[in-house]
Amino acid sequence: MNHLITRRTALKRLLRISGGLALSAFSGWPEEGLRSVWAGPKNRGFIVEGLGQGEGYSIEELTRRVFEAAGGITQFISKGDVVVVKPNISWARRPDLAATTNPEVLEAVIGLCQEAGARRVRIADNTINDPRRCFALSGAGMVAKKTGAELIYPRSSLMREMKLGGNRLDVWPVFVPLVEADKLINLPVAKHHGLSSLTLGMKNWIGAIGGRRSALHQDIHQIIVDLAQFFSPTLTLIDATRIMIRNGPSGGRLSDVATRNTLVLGNDQVAADAKASTLFGLSPEQVGHILLGQKRGLGTYDLQQLDQRQVIL
Amino acid sequence: MKATHLVWIRRISQGFFLVLFLFLLIESRLPQDIYLRYSLVFLSEQDLRIGWPLAFFFQLDPLIWLSSLLSGHHLIKGFWWGIALILMTLFLGRVFCGFICPLGTVHHVVSWFRPALKGQRMIEANQKSPSQKVKYFLLSSLLVGALIGLNLTGLIDPISLFFRSLALAVLPGLGVGLKEIFEWMAKTDVRILNQLSYGAEVLVSPVFGYGYQSYQSAWFIGMIFLITILLNRIRPRFWCRVLCPLGALLGLFSRFSILRLEKDLEKCTNCNLCTEGCQGAASPIPGQHWENAECLMCFNCFDFCPEGALSFRFTWHPKLNKQPDMGRRALLTGLLAGISIPLLGRLDGQVHKTSEPRLIRPPGSSTEKDFLRLCQRCGLCMKVCPTNVINPTIGEAGMAGFWTPHLIMTQGYCEYTCTLCGSVCPTGAIREISAREKIERPIRIGSVYVDRGRCLPWSGNGPCIVCEEHCPTSPKAIYFRKEVVPGADGKGKLVPLPYVDLKRCVGCGICEYKCPVKGRPAIRVISAGESRSLKNQILL
Repeated sequence: MNHLITRRTALKRLLRISGGLALSAFSGWPEEGLRSVWAGPKNRGFIVEGLGQGEGYSIEELTRRVFEAAGGITQFISKGDVVVVKPNISWARRPDLAATTNPEVLEAVIGLCQEAGARRVRIADNTINDPRRCFALSGAGMVAKKTGAELIYPRSSLMREMKLGGNRLDVWPVFVPLVEADKLINLPVAKHHGLSSLTLGMKNWIGAIGGRRSALHQDIHQIIVDLAQFFSPTLTLIDATRIMIRNGPSGGRLSDVATRNTLVLGNDQVAADAKASTLFGLSPEQVGHILLGQKRGLGTYDLQQLDQRQVIL
Repeated sequence: MKATHLVWIRRISQGFFLVLFLFLLIESRLPQDIYLRYSLVFLSEQDLRIGWPLAFFFQLDPLIWLSSLLSGHHLIKGFWWGIALILMTLFLGRVFCGFICPLGTVHHVVSWFRPALKGQRMIEANQKSPSQKVKYFLLSSLLVGALIGLNLTGLIDPISLFFRSLALAVLPGLGVGLKEIFEWMAKTDVRILNQLSYGAEVLVSPVFGYGYQSYQSAWFIGMIFLITILLNRIRPRFWCRVLCPLGALLGLFSRFSILRLEKDLEKCTNCNLCTEGCQGAASPIPGQHWENAECLMCFNCFDFCPEGALSFRFTWHPKLNKQPDMGRRALLTGLLAGISIPLLGRLDGQVHKTSEPRLIRPPGSSTEKDFLRLCQRCGLCMKVCPTNVINPTIGEAGMAGFWTPHLIMTQGYCEYTCTLCGSVCPTGAIREISAREKIERPIRIGSVYVDRGRCLPWSGNGPCIVCEEHCPTSPKAIYFRKEVVPGADGKGKLVPLPYVDLKRCVGCGICEYKCPVKGRPAIRVISAGESRSLKNQILL
């Protein structure tokens, strides 16, 4: 690793000396270009599936292994980054009801970001139920306290109108911390949803905006894709340790929950959603926004085109 | 003990109890650290509770205890604090008014700080006046009314009034003002202002409430409070002298007090300084008969007298103090009012006949009849409600139920597993319930119905199903069927249409709150089906 950095800095200096400005004008950011040569999976679409098959496997360990299979967290998070993790903690429900992201996964991801040298890790979600009760019951508050991550209260002053430039959504209030982040990690839970059939990674962006969200359901798939295009996260990690198979997105009963012991990590939002949709026994084409996401060019649900890996613990 | 010492002890005590009151008022909220207590997360049966004794001042107030006992035949939790206070009054007189009552302290400060009246005018204002009988009239009408079945005590009980005014008018009012400033700061493009706004909001929100708190008719609550405060400039402690029913009640007991004002006529030079400082208009000057039932025990006269003609002493006289000057007329009119008001209050039929559809009581409320017997209208449930759904009624509960709590689903909704309102209610008008009772059976707040003319999919205006998404029950009480509905162009559209299964609906109102049709939503909660009433049921 040290060796690699030395070479890179050496190259950088060389570029600077030989009039790097002119060079970078047509080769893009030199740093990006150089990283892609060595960093492997960073720019290619990849999908890692982590399966916890052993009895009482550690979710933290599984999360770590999944990131390792993708080339390690340092491929994605640099020293000094402000990382925002966007879990799905919309509902004031206990973790075992699978309405919210598993706090253990959340804790593990935050831990990894901190190890990678992130300057600050923030947890941000514009919840549906009262935020304080959501933070309490979903366990996100407890994770924030344990890890020292900032838990951001979705105040109205933090919702700012921005140009989204989508097909359906042009200008809409956005939860500011997510846009101000250096790196954005989408950390949804996989659930059933009455209208959009599933709520996975791309649907999670509904929790990243403010305004009159209840009006969005009138063209839900188009809006999900508009938002996914705008937010475009560094990584998507779908928590399918347990999933909600009916009565989504809020559930409320243990019988609505099925255990899958799976984590899906990808840098392609559409692919991650496609992979997770198979856990529900659906094919990706059956989910409107996955189909639309590929059409818009956000990614692909044809998993054969990606670098696929599997981790079993 | 020197008089100055006594006055200073009084001031410290007043300050202490006022601060305690404000502290408990502010702590009447979803605890700030709940999300940091790990164990809560995994113990499903545990309900969120507030650790502080929020109802302390209500328990200390014997009028609340007595009126609940008379009307609701219910001994409130912690009633022995009230009994202790009565015992204290039996020995020491109205020390509660001078030393403890937080509303009295506010009145005292406003009366005493740079007084509007000076010299002779203040002496005249502090002469005992017949209007001071009004409080006995109020007390007797409240107690008789309570006995007959309508408890209006909380409307003018000082603790309830003070709590309600601060919680529903003063704090939210200041909060809205501050939030508007922060919102403006956040909208500017100056980065330092953005950060300041965020930081300020972090500090302010836990005290003034998150978001914009709003309460129906709060302007009226605030105005009444303002007027009672300003009256102190015309006559010091106007409220305490003329209106306070708790003061009247304590005045009755002070007759037996052994702490007495001793007057020495020989030493008196008639300078009237004692009257000038007297907060209760209790005739402290030697030569007049001391009105011990009016005396607020502020010890100002003792302190002000330059000749040492006045002193408070413990004396074991066999004879009682002067009888409170309440007047037979005040008592009789009080009796009449006390009998007629509860009966008049029944005339709108709320108790015996109709059920107003928008009178949706908080979960765990007792039947309407018992509710009117116990509710103090103090606003504690409204203050703790995290979603701001609990609001004071204006006309929904009729005249008898003015300012009692009810749910306005366009302002908030009842959180599925939240049971805070019942856990804080000082009199048990809202019973303490568990989340399990709310989720499974028997508690239901009301029922919901779809207004098909307004509903987007039903009216052919496209898919929506927001109500179904938010419905918290499992299986969902709101379900949908995909059906073809004619659109504006005459062509049929296949859209999911919402239906309600009344058996599953708990009446939480989140569907109404989140419905995209604002103002008068397309799906609404009505009180029909509320578990507290046997009559107001829909299903067999």
